[in-house]
Amino acid sequence: MSKLTPHPEAIPATNEPLRIAVRRLRWFKQAFQRHADAYGRDLGCVFEVDEAKLASVFVRWLELIERQKPSDKTERRDFFQFAAALMLRELVSDMPVRASSPPTKAGPDTAAAFWPEGYCCTMFCLSVHSAAMTQEFQAATDIDPAFDDLRHWWSFKENALQDASFSAGFLQMLLGQQPNWVMPDVFRARLTDELSDTTS
Amino acid sequence: MQNQAGPSVPTQLPIPPDPMPLREALRGLRFMLRRGGETLADTMSVETLPKPAADLAGAVLREVGGLARNVDEVASGLAKTILGGRAPPSKTLDALSITQDAGAQFAAAVYVALRTVLRRLGAPGVFVSEAAARAAFDRNIAQPGTDAAPESAAALTVDLLEARVIRGATAGEAAHVPGAALEPVAIFAVMLWLQSARSDDDNEAALDAAADLSVAVAADVAAACQARDPAQIGALYAKLVAHV
Repeated sequence: MSKLTPHPEAIPATNEPLRIAVRRLRWFKQAFQRHADAYGRDLGCVFEVDEAKLASVFVRWLELIERQKPSDKTERRDFFQFAAALMLRELVSDMPVRASSPPTKAGPDTAAAFWPEGYCCTMFCLSVHSAAMTQEFQAATDIDPAFDDLRHWWSFKENALQDASFSAGFLQMLLGQQPNWVMPDVFRARLTDELSDTTS
Repeated sequence: MQNQAGPSVPTQLPIPPDPMPLREALRGLRFMLRRGGETLADTMSVETLPKPAADLAGAVLREVGGLARNVDEVASGLAKTILGGRAPPSKTLDALSITQDAGAQFAAAVYVALRTVLRRLGAPGVFVSEAAARAAFDRNIAQPGTDAAPESAAALTVDLLEARVIRGATAGEAAHVPGAALEPVAIFAVMLWLQSARSDDDNEAALDAAADLSVAVAADVAAACQARDPAQIGALYAKLVAHV
């Protein structure tokens, strides 16, 4: 496991807890734009953000988390992680960001060079998730070594284009979870899976 | 003892005339000149005329265009002077509703915010009636028991639509919003923004976010507004207001 090193300056300041702020479009848009700018600088490219698409992504994400939010408070921490996975699902399915040119500073065998837009969206989700986890649970976010394995990114891009829910499983994997690859975007399916593991 | 004082002098200045009707008239004039100029340029196909007639028609068009521009500049300058501040106010609908001149403040806020939203939606030339917004507010607030809850905001939204606060949108301008729902989406965005908690610092970002959210749910907004159904509109406000 490796520690995530996000761009702290890309998390907009707010008086509200991040779990609240992230559900306000004005904060969400600012955070996404700042991450796109920061990772664009890192990678040597310019990311153009489509605000209309981003708003649609945001609304669909809100609807998904509202629909799947567990009533049991003990599942809150797990759902935090899951909400980030749902966010990546919606971002990748509509892809509101586009690199205007190939990254000039990314190594040739890196995820960022292979799929800059997917990389940018993934880093955004991991970064916001990490900041919220630190704030809510004083927990650092560890990233699975799969993050550095380009084969996982090939699989991610290919499968996500066929089935948007794959993105949710990919993010759970990066966060060290074992996703339910049949229904990686269904929180209840994930819980049922864990229960069956413990009872078998 | 005899009173030495002279004739009594009024201690209060007369109530200043309401500048809103004048602003509205100037904006109407500006809209007519701009839209008329565009229509004239669109319909007069000077290039198809034979040479002497084309020269004459071109000269007339230039003359009319110059005249329109001059009047437009005067009207715009006057309207801006009388309008005062151009930034959308950060007061919420709740706060606006309890001010002394609530109707006037509401209408001014709706005018500035609608112009901002219409620009964002790619329809900057559409006419916005501040007078219609004030009339809608006065009609709505006169109903007993109204407050700024989503249901009341929804009722006011229906009144704004009925009052035709937005006028003169072309088919091309309306098409910038899914389902050609420019008018309901723009009004919904402004009313959503007015209900949202925000500071001076993020006021304009909140208005942009309200516009983007409204476009994202344009189909639902259009259906609810088409039905003139305050319950449906209120449900959408309740769902979205915390997410602006």
